[in-house]
Amino acid sequence: MKLSQTLLLLTFSAATLQAQTPQSEIPKKQRAPAVTEGAAVSQQVVQSNSLVKVNATSQPYSLHLPWQKESPSGRRGLGVVLAGNRVLVTAQMVADATYIELELPTTGQKIPAKVLAVDYEANLALLESAPSDKQKAFFSGLKPMAVDVGTRIEDKVDILQTGRVGELIKSELKIGKVLTRRYNVEGSGFLVYEANNIVRSEANSFTLPVVKGGKLVGLLLSYDSKNQVTTILPAPIIEHFLKDVADGSYEGFPSLGMELQSTLDEQFREFLGLKPDAPGVLISMVMKGGSAEKAGMKKGDILVAINGFTIDSRGDYKDPQFGALSSSHLVRGRAYVGDKVEIKVIREGKEVTLTGELTRRKPDDYLVLPYLFDKGPRYVLMGGLLFQELSRPYLDAFGEEQRGGAILRLTRIASHPDKYEEEGRKKLVFLSLVLPTPSAQGYDKLGGQVVNKVNGKAIKDLNDLAEAFKSAKDTVHVIELNDFPHILYLDTFNAERDNMRLLGGAYRIGSLKRLE
Amino acid sequence: MNTRPLLSLLALALLPSALCAQPAKAPPPAAQGIDVASGAWEGIVNIDVSVLVPDYREPWNAGQPSGGSGTGFLIGKNRFLTNAHVVSNATRILIRTTNDPEPHPAKIVHIAHDCDLALIEAEDGSHFDKLKPLEFGGIPQLNTEVIAIGYPIGGDRISVTRGVVSRIDFRPYSHTSVDSHLAIQVDAAINPGNSGGPVMQEGKVVGVAFQGFSGRVAQNVGYMIPVPVIKRFLKDIEDGRYDHYVDLAASDFPIENPAQAKALGTGNDGVGVMVGDVEPQGSVGDLLKIGDVILSIDENPVMNNGLVRFEGELMDMNEIVERKFAGDTIKLKYMRDGKKLEATVTLKRFDPYVRLGAQYNQRPRYIVNAGLVFQPLDRNLMDAHQMRDDTVNYVFDNFLTDKLYVERPEPVVLTNVLPDEVNTWITPYAHSIVDEINGVKIKTLKDVQTALAKKDKPFIEIVLLEKNRPLVLKRELAEAAHKRIMQTYNIQEDSYLGDE
Repeated sequence: MKLSQTLLLLTFSAATLQAQTPQSEIPKKQRAPAVTEGAAVSQQVVQSNSLVKVNATSQPYSLHLPWQKESPSGRRGLGVVLAGNRVLVTAQMVADATYIELELPTTGQKIPAKVLAVDYEANLALLESAPSDKQKAFFSGLKPMAVDVGTRIEDKVDILQTGRVGELIKSELKIGKVLTRRYNVEGSGFLVYEANNIVRSEANSFTLPVVKGGKLVGLLLSYDSKNQVTTILPAPIIEHFLKDVADGSYEGFPSLGMELQSTLDEQFREFLGLKPDAPGVLISMVMKGGSAEKAGMKKGDILVAINGFTIDSRGDYKDPQFGALSSSHLVRGRAYVGDKVEIKVIREGKEVTLTGELTRRKPDDYLVLPYLFDKGPRYVLMGGLLFQELSRPYLDAFGEEQRGGAILRLTRIASHPDKYEEEGRKKLVFLSLVLPTPSAQGYDKLGGQVVNKVNGKAIKDLNDLAEAFKSAKDTVHVIELNDFPHILYLDTFNAERDNMRLLGGAYRIGSLKRLE
Repeated sequence: MNTRPLLSLLALALLPSALCAQPAKAPPPAAQGIDVASGAWEGIVNIDVSVLVPDYREPWNAGQPSGGSGTGFLIGKNRFLTNAHVVSNATRILIRTTNDPEPHPAKIVHIAHDCDLALIEAEDGSHFDKLKPLEFGGIPQLNTEVIAIGYPIGGDRISVTRGVVSRIDFRPYSHTSVDSHLAIQVDAAINPGNSGGPVMQEGKVVGVAFQGFSGRVAQNVGYMIPVPVIKRFLKDIEDGRYDHYVDLAASDFPIENPAQAKALGTGNDGVGVMVGDVEPQGSVGDLLKIGDVILSIDENPVMNNGLVRFEGELMDMNEIVERKFAGDTIKLKYMRDGKKLEATVTLKRFDPYVRLGAQYNQRPRYIVNAGLVFQPLDRNLMDAHQMRDDTVNYVFDNFLTDKLYVERPEPVVLTNVLPDEVNTWITPYAHSIVDEINGVKIKTLKDVQTALAKKDKPFIEIVLLEKNRPLVLKRELAEAAHKRIMQTYNIQEDSYLGDE
């Protein structure tokens, strides 16, 4: 890690060679536990036979040296027992997990568990243990907890944690706001409950249940100890997830795939031809292949209603339970993939009703992968040149001070992928690093260049690249890049020889590619 | 021109704010004492400058008054050479000699920011008539002794430090931060205030002290502008005008890889460097292509790392171009697809990169309309506004690399929205690149003026680059608000578009 960071720093920012590796090069993104700081508040010991401790060991792959893994770390949380001896936790809790176990808070009895279903966008995971006598005994004293989706603003709820000796401690919160917000990964917003209070922390925890009257109303999403703001992943999203899992095939949360602009600005309204009190927001972007596009929505339409709910000039609708709420929840939270959707828009002054079927854009449908868990990053190594497909986590691993040059260019492509998608690219293949080999002599300061062609073949993803390396002419690979120096040449025999030397060599490379 | 400074170089004009005096080292025993009273160094003068630093945040304001001090030296009748950075943005220049406290007002005759040199003259030069101008030497050899003379921090009178020539190399000049020329590194102490002063060997000037590193980065590293760069400047201004450097405007990539050498068809003699990028609007924009191999410039063979042996030293091949002037030609031998070709190239200045460097002696250009402030994108603007917007940063950073200047020679930024009832909804859109106004594509600041003058529609419609909604102002409201905003925010003129 240290090596790659140093190399990349030099490559990407053309920065000064420094005598020591500065502290700041440690990847900025750390998965912070939800609760980290304690504060003296009244606590109350309670009883529950619906909660189990969950211990997980997590080990992500290295983003910069993708053939290896980072060091493993432990995570603890409090899972909620649901019907069928399943245990609900946040997806964050089990991301990149190598080992998961359930533990009874009272007796300390443990059994291993596996992930049955996980949704990283909705930040939810369902665990189960293989049926056995031990498993039966483990769950015998436990009772499934029901999910309560009826929470309203002003309701009082409790966050539960385990104390030092396994006792349950509750902190009371009052739900102050309901809104939509992005959870832990890149993507559109989900429903969130927000509350203000001090939450006492007993142990670092990745999952804490929020209950009311013995029923589950949500899981703790984040706690900002400075502002004492707690956000809760709410029961309606949990219920949606569980229903989706229950039917046997998990589809995930649908989205419309569009971007809207509020129309509060009177001059803008007049420009758009909107009457002063008329509802509606401007559709400023319609994503290719998304539900909205398939239903016939166009950029420039004024969205006035979804499924019978009027959309106001902020883009909110009136939710019967929560009041004004972002229209995205109408699709995300209240509908399922495959559901029919009815959208009313104003186009050229006339109201048009569009109908379509809701779909979900899968992470793999993006040019730049929005998140990556449980799998290693795809890569191809050829004669010391390391090629990868661009992903958000890769870009996020660079600190602010390393944002210049190639990283800035790649980040912009991630934010504006349209042009590259139109070229027919499925993924953005780039030269991420050059290991010092004889065949890559002269190229070792490169990194961050987008690959256009190899041996004359257009590169749409890494599979294309691996394939193109099989068809060199005149024993030289020709690699065409989008950026300076635009062309690289690699001797085919020497590259193969270096490949063999890299396998099991100083860089501990076990495989020259990962394409699964 | 494709390189950027790797280390934060410190220009060495003495600014009052930076009076952190590092005590000078004890000088090594001088080879020969000099009697200052003899007047031998009377031509080496202190230059005291009052400065007005333009305000790129409030471009309608005068700017920040400041001051500084440097060194200069007489090179002809009432002609003093100094660094451009000593006299940049000056409102008043005073010359003092070491034996006479009388200040003599002076003015800039020629200033060349790209090589950090300036020529100034006293308004009344008669006082200096009897002084002997300093003479120029050549490029000194490595490890030969030189002395730096000037008025650095640590006292008021003239100072001498001694050292040897440490290195001769092509280096970034920190004054603009985008220009690189030949520079000579010396280990004589060169401190703030030495800027513009002569570095001498055997009684002749071999360079002008101009930059160094801060003590925290490196020790005993000072740089001087060598005689070839100085002579080029003096020759350039002979016609009464400074025409700037000319540039190949192509980036070279070394041929170190055997497969690369084989594919490009270069032999084993180590001659030829690959063309890695070509600026379409540069001198060789119509001639060279990426993947060509430059073999020689003016019959000087170019090595695989882009160096040439020139005047006995290994130097960047650009040094040959550096010595030439706009309209001069070079003979270029190159290879394409294994075929050797030859061409004569007429050299010209490559303008687009000027805005990537710091600019001086310029009043900031701007247009204010209904509280919306439009300014052209350049380094001064980026530095003043601390732009965080990804699109603005992308356009600035990749102005050359992605050839953005071809479509938009002077990108215009909406830098600020001065809040008022009329624009309150669009204040969050400050720090955006302006793509179109009223249907007119914005390629330069002047286009903004032209576009705003179009009054055929009831709305002013501003399309921003990579922002998904247009900014819309109702024309009658905007016009009514304009005067009010100008008054409230104390803006005298609603635009400054330059001198033309």
